[in-house]
Amino acid sequence: MTTTSAPPPAPSPAPGPAAAPAGARRRRSVPASLRLLLIVLVVAAVAYGAVGTWTVIQHASAAQDVVSTSEPLSLAAQRMYQALSDADVTATTAFLAGPYVRLPARERYAADIGRAAADLTSLENATTTSANPQLVHSLAAVAAGLPVYTGYVSQAQTQFLLGYRLTAGSLMQVASEEMHLTLLPAARASYAQENAALTAASAQATGLPWIVVVLVLAIAVAFVLYRAQRWLSRRTHRVFNLGMLAATVALAVSAVWLIASFAVARTDLQRAVGHGSIPAEALAQAAIDTQQARGYEVLNLISRSGDATFVKDFQAVQARLGPGPGTLLGAASSSSGAGARWAAAAGRDVRAWYAVIGRAYTLDSKAQYTSETALVIGPGAGASTAGFARVEADLSRAIDADHAVFHSNATAGRNAFTGLDVVIILAAALIAAGCAWGLSRRLAEYR
Amino acid sequence: MALRSRVLAAMAAALPLALAAGCSGSTAPSPAQAAQASPGGSIPASPANGPQSLSETGSTLLFPVLRTWAAAYRQQHANVSITTAATGSGKGIAEASAGAVDIGASDAYLSSGDLVTNPDMVNIPLAVSAQQVNYNVPGLRPATHLRLNGKVLAEMYQGSITSWSDPRIAVLNPGVALPHTPVVPLHRADSAGDTFLFTSYLSTQDTSWDRVTGYGTTVAWPPVPGARAETGNTGMVAGCKATPGCVAYVGIAYLSSATAAGLGYAALRNNLGNYEAPTPRSIGTSVASFVSTTPVNETISMVDGPTLTGYPIVNYEYAIVSTLQRSAAKARDIKAFLHWVITAGNAPQYLDQFRFQPLPASIVSLSDAQIAKIG
Repeated sequence: MTTTSAPPPAPSPAPGPAAAPAGARRRRSVPASLRLLLIVLVVAAVAYGAVGTWTVIQHASAAQDVVSTSEPLSLAAQRMYQALSDADVTATTAFLAGPYVRLPARERYAADIGRAAADLTSLENATTTSANPQLVHSLAAVAAGLPVYTGYVSQAQTQFLLGYRLTAGSLMQVASEEMHLTLLPAARASYAQENAALTAASAQATGLPWIVVVLVLAIAVAFVLYRAQRWLSRRTHRVFNLGMLAATVALAVSAVWLIASFAVARTDLQRAVGHGSIPAEALAQAAIDTQQARGYEVLNLISRSGDATFVKDFQAVQARLGPGPGTLLGAASSSSGAGARWAAAAGRDVRAWYAVIGRAYTLDSKAQYTSETALVIGPGAGASTAGFARVEADLSRAIDADHAVFHSNATAGRNAFTGLDVVIILAAALIAAGCAWGLSRRLAEYR
Repeated sequence: MALRSRVLAAMAAALPLALAAGCSGSTAPSPAQAAQASPGGSIPASPANGPQSLSETGSTLLFPVLRTWAAAYRQQHANVSITTAATGSGKGIAEASAGAVDIGASDAYLSSGDLVTNPDMVNIPLAVSAQQVNYNVPGLRPATHLRLNGKVLAEMYQGSITSWSDPRIAVLNPGVALPHTPVVPLHRADSAGDTFLFTSYLSTQDTSWDRVTGYGTTVAWPPVPGARAETGNTGMVAGCKATPGCVAYVGIAYLSSATAAGLGYAALRNNLGNYEAPTPRSIGTSVASFVSTTPVNETISMVDGPTLTGYPIVNYEYAIVSTLQRSAAKARDIKAFLHWVITAGNAPQYLDQFRFQPLPASIVSLSDAQIAKIG
């Protein structure tokens, strides 16, 4: 059906003999032009649909990856580091506290090892050998080192229970060395790799290039539609071709939908990154540094056979951790993340903890091992155990808050892509069908 | 499946701790496994060609035998000169870690602090040693070996036993006429592996010592009137000789010089309650009980071990070496020398005069695996 607002096309006047060849050419050229136009528009519609759908799927997939894969894996890697570090601190502390390993310590150690193993399993299951060789290598190092570590701890525990505390102590040192030299660096590398994957997935979900390509394609199709309709209008004296008009409307609706969805998704995902994962990343690094400082502090208690201490390492951690400008806690507390207030609390609590650690290292330098041990692993509110627990709790709350912000925004961003691929496919189909129908009607008039 | 197996293995290994069971559920590599799992770097039988030099410093206990080894090695490899110095284990570790010397010598293994801050360092046992407790108690017959235990020694070093005639000493030595000579405890002024060994023994046998003072290469010695600090084993022997009533801890290599100086040495109470003098048999028995539990990095305390007839203060004497040498020739020289020490150098002709014991065969394998890492 065609709407006519102009007189129906008048058949061409009977051509004279001289005009016959030119008229024949024109009669042949119009259908040929219509067929060519039909092919061009259908191909353009298919191209728009294919590229648009592929682009939407890529962005939606990246957004989905951010929410359901990269973020959980990054969290799992951070938890794995935390569990490993806590396992070593717990085992060493239990050994030092002697003479018996108390049930809560046993349960905490077992829970830490179980959690680390579970997180390692999730990370390995999500990683193929071709995905990231560095990540595969780091996870393999954790997988290989974990049984070695627990084996040494078991040996130390056996010696401890048999009454050979010094032998147990040296085996516990060997276990801790395995932890600090192999497991924790590998776990930290795993976290760095998973966090980089999260950043890459976020960047892919919010990246502009292919969306721009789709919009350029949409503009090109719109231009061809416009020129085709104008040519038809002039050629056929009809103002509108309903098929092509429908195609134009479908193109416009899908393009606007695409722009709106992408704008919403990009805004949400960028908010997730800016207010969620970036502050959470700084906090996670701060948590890792805090655990490292605690690990060194406890390890120093059984490290009696040489002269080296961890004072320099502690000072390096202190400089990196903060608080203050340019430090991890400084960045986290001044960020717009939801965890900023907890990061600020961690900044306050960590100063008190630093003071306790400083006193412990001073006692160590004076060979006041008993006082140092009481200060580092003792139960009092002024002991390092309590100070570390306060900082750890602050950081955990801050990380949880930032992850909640990240998760909700990233989920909203992912949801913004919902149905967009269907819209693009339908629009492409409508464009192609509308053009085909509209132009076929015109072509029929020449048969 | 491989991952599942590994995780299950980790959980299985964790179980003994969770249950606090007395049985060993170790999954740590055995010495044989470790030897097989060594990186496989070859150990050259000879040093590099041309003039070569190696430097060593550290343990005063290991110094005499190292000097002998160096001389014997030079006889076989005339192009290699080895300088040795007795500076104390602490300095040996520190200078080897800093790269100031090629080999540090220590009576104590590297601490976690040393290893974690210098992850390229390894401690390689070279021989088995022990520590004697000497005393200068007038009137005792030379063949008498006073029986002492960790608690009594701790009380001497804490100042609560002030006379050799104290009943707490007398009850351990029935029939021995002990003089009313004041006890003068001697300890090392420098950071020393010997101090680590001696205070470790006191800590295992006396909970109050462990609680108040503890163990280490340096400790805060309880203030005792008349107590003296000496530098090196030579200083300890000389100081004890010059101080009637002294009690001192000295490396086994100085047993002859201590005896020659008129000092007696004690039979010490072991973990199972027997008193043993530091004889080759009692030392060897004690070390044998630790062979199966020695980890791949050979860091182990063997003080007060689980043996009926073992001497309670035994240890490996360690070479402290970096696995990252500045040249292939240097690495080759160090590897060849250390391998020679733990094989040919462990022969009685070198060790007996210093009362050291050869390394057990499986410990030689572990040490070779560590030597092979040097490159």
